[in-house]
Amino acid sequence: MTEPEATVIVVDDDASVRRGLERLLRAAGYRAETYGSAEEFLARPPIVGPCCLVLDVRMPGQGGLDLYQTLTKRGEYIPAVFITGHGDIPTVVRAMKAGAVDFLAKPFDDDELLDAVHQGLNGRLRRQPG
Amino acid sequence: MRLAMSSTTRTALTAVLVCLAYLLGAKVGEQLRFLPLTTSVLWPPNAILTATLLLTAPQRWPLYLLAALPAHLIVQFGVGRPTALVLALFVTNCTEALLAAGAVRRFGDGRRFDTLRDVAIFVMYAVLAAPFLSSFADAAVVSLFNAEPYWLVWRTRFFSNTLTELMLVPAIVMAVTRLLPWMRNAAPLRRLEGALLAVAPLAVGMVAFGPAFERIAALREPGTQFAFLLPVLFWAAVRFGPGGFSMTLLVTTLVAIWAGAQGRGVFSAMPPAQSVLALQIYLSVTAIPLLCLAAVIEERRRAQAALAERLRFEELLAQLSGSFVHIAASGTDAAFGTWLRELGLFLEVDRLVVYRFPRHSDDVRSVYSWIRPGVAASPALMTNEAFPWMRAELAAERTVAIGRIDDAPPEAARDVHMMRTRGARSTLVLPLVAGGEVLGCLAFVMFTTDRAWPPELIQRLRLVAEVFASALAQKDADEAIRASEALKSAILASLTSGVAVLDHSGRVVTVNASWLRFRDDPAAWAAQAEVGESYVEACRRAAGAGRAQAAEAVELVGAVLAGSLPTFTLEYSGGEPVASWYTISVVPLPGRDGGGAVVAHADTTDVKRAEIDAQRIRQELAHSARVFTMGELTASLAHELNQPLAGIRTNAQAAQRFLDATPPHYGEIRSILSDIVEDDKRAADVINRLRELMRKGEPEVARVDVNDVIRGVIKLVSSDAIIRGVDITSDLAAGPLIVLGDRVQLQQVVLNLLLNAMEAMVDRTRAQRVVVVRTRPDSRGVEVVIEDTGPGLAPGAEEMIFEPFYTTKSSGMGMGLSIARSILQAHGGSIRARSNPRRGAIFHFLLPAAGVSVP
Repeated sequence: MTEPEATVIVVDDDASVRRGLERLLRAAGYRAETYGSAEEFLARPPIVGPCCLVLDVRMPGQGGLDLYQTLTKRGEYIPAVFITGHGDIPTVVRAMKAGAVDFLAKPFDDDELLDAVHQGLNGRLRRQPG
Repeated sequence: MRLAMSSTTRTALTAVLVCLAYLLGAKVGEQLRFLPLTTSVLWPPNAILTATLLLTAPQRWPLYLLAALPAHLIVQFGVGRPTALVLALFVTNCTEALLAAGAVRRFGDGRRFDTLRDVAIFVMYAVLAAPFLSSFADAAVVSLFNAEPYWLVWRTRFFSNTLTELMLVPAIVMAVTRLLPWMRNAAPLRRLEGALLAVAPLAVGMVAFGPAFERIAALREPGTQFAFLLPVLFWAAVRFGPGGFSMTLLVTTLVAIWAGAQGRGVFSAMPPAQSVLALQIYLSVTAIPLLCLAAVIEERRRAQAALAERLRFEELLAQLSGSFVHIAASGTDAAFGTWLRELGLFLEVDRLVVYRFPRHSDDVRSVYSWIRPGVAASPALMTNEAFPWMRAELAAERTVAIGRIDDAPPEAARDVHMMRTRGARSTLVLPLVAGGEVLGCLAFVMFTTDRAWPPELIQRLRLVAEVFASALAQKDADEAIRASEALKSAILASLTSGVAVLDHSGRVVTVNASWLRFRDDPAAWAAQAEVGESYVEACRRAAGAGRAQAAEAVELVGAVLAGSLPTFTLEYSGGEPVASWYTISVVPLPGRDGGGAVVAHADTTDVKRAEIDAQRIRQELAHSARVFTMGELTASLAHELNQPLAGIRTNAQAAQRFLDATPPHYGEIRSILSDIVEDDKRAADVINRLRELMRKGEPEVARVDVNDVIRGVIKLVSSDAIIRGVDITSDLAAGPLIVLGDRVQLQQVVLNLLLNAMEAMVDRTRAQRVVVVRTRPDSRGVEVVIEDTGPGLAPGAEEMIFEPFYTTKSSGMGMGLSIARSILQAHGGSIRARSNPRRGAIFHFLLPAAGVSVP
């Protein structure tokens, strides 16, 4: 429980993955919010307080990377961890260039994800945008 | 002997002959005068002139009369008569001849003495009227110049001329027209009789008027002497006709006159002039009835001969028809040869030819011909060009009869010219008509003489033509049948299929060579029946021996023979250890005697093996293509699998954490486990679908819902669609669309079309990448439409894209659509593609609904 009250937001079109992550994050002491698509997430009110995003790269409609870029363009620099069931190198490179905290291939271990989220919340961004 | 003479030479010779005959006749006449009378008791010149005029054409009469003038002058001046009298006598002589010949020719034939009518006309005009009338003039002239008693002169001249006309004219005319042919043709005995008759009057004269007359008083009675002469005349009249009688009369008269001159004459008791007159009257009165009798007998004899001839001809015709009635085709040629000869000899024609007019050409072919031995003639040749008129007449089924070339109609000028150049003088051509068609003609040709073709003869020869025509027609028909038979045998022999012909009872009537080859192949049970054996029975035996389908064959063959089944084809296999396949087709054979059937038996092993090979190759190809497609899908399949796996792992690790908590959150753990089970099912689903598509094996035909197939495939490619950013929309018919087919192959088709559609839209913006899948029931089955928004098809590529190895992609074999099409065709369906006028391509495919076939 190092960063209580920090919010981790999961956007993934797969319901099972979404529920699993929500439970894992909750067990790790985070407040977790989950959304089935980028559009759903963008519809919520702006975030207040420490926050980290866990975004699925491939989703019907807007994918994770696009969503992240949208937020960046809006000036919201929220740390993001990308997850994908289909990890190809060009996508990884694009995600890292965009300022991702980490890039995880599904299926991944709980520690990997929690480490990445932890890093994101502690501001240890791999790279500052801009 | 025949002399080829020009008509001028002939005329000149005749004129000389007339002159000489007149001279001789006049000399004889002058010797038989009772001086001082000018008029002779027997005056032949007038009769000679009459005979000449009867024998010659009227236009030549002046010429021949003039030819006699020198002879007349020589004789008349020889006895020292005044010129005026000589000329006047010539005129009266000519007048008599002209009157006699003119009247006889006018009222009768003029050259014939063999009918009572002709003889009566001759007696009436030439024997009685002409001398009677001309004698008035003659007596006038003589009495004027020589002051002789008019009536005595008239009487002497009338009776002498009557007698000479009576005995000379028929004798000369018959001698000229009949004697030569008679001498040539008469039988030896008949010739002998003729010779006896010729010497008989002399012999009898010797007896009656010879030295015996002096010794035996009884002979001096006039009646007795005639009793000797009469039988001879009677003999001549009865046996030799008017000609023979006339000649005998001539000799008898000469003998009697000679006897009279010797003073031993018949009427020698009287004064010479009286005696001659009595003789003349007696001979004339006796001769006229005898001449008539001769004519009657001749007429009767000729009628009998004509009847006999006609009977012979009828018999010949009967034999001819009889021999052609039951003739075999092979005997036709020989029969034509025989009968042309028979007819030719009987009718005494020089040549007989049967010409054919072939149906499909203008040629005229001589097929049979006969020529009288010894007659030289150009080869039998008739062409349309040479005989146009004749050909036209024949085509109109008319008979052509040209008795003399000069009698031919003017429109036949060309034909006549050709006849002349070939040396033909007379011809009769009859059309040979059978079945309303002119098959040819029968031509009778005369080279040696002209010849009349009397209507009765033509009538009879038409019968011959009819017989010949039907023989030709029969021969044509037989030849056509033989040719057709030969053609059929050749076709049968050339077939590799075994063919057996069955009669209505199913008995094998005939088989071809290929049928016999199946004898050595026991597996070919449907081709083991021998000729003479019942085919149905042979099949039944095979059924009894446990041959599958043999019982079915028994039934079907029976049905075709009974007429209840039009035709059937049956495939069967047999043989160990290597299987062979056969096909029998049975078609009914209509015909007499209840018809029958034709069985064709073929070894289809090679075809069948090729079919099986092709099917296997097709399946392998389809499988390879599926595996290849799977390869393309690997990335998206990994995604598809990783999703539930990620869910499982995350949930499981969350559960571990909840277990570590105190107290453990059992509620959370329970819902986590249920999520894990669901994810596991999802993963298994993916793997099952994969395994199904990768499966290798025989296609399984079952009832398949096309909508179901499409939903499955869309699920399979959904990850790929996400990765490619493609939106797949489906608009499926409400109810299930059931077809009969192999689910995997149908999935392959849909998968292929969806992947193609998605790949086609790579260059589109994300929002434009849309694939629409629609299904709907169609009157012909089930229609599936897949539309994309890619670049569409290149113009003209609508068909090519289904060809193997046609591809526009850098990767890929170009087999996808080709395989899709062959799968659909194997399902009885079809596929086509077109460009969407707005954007992209549209693929339609059609599958027959279960129980319905697509045309």
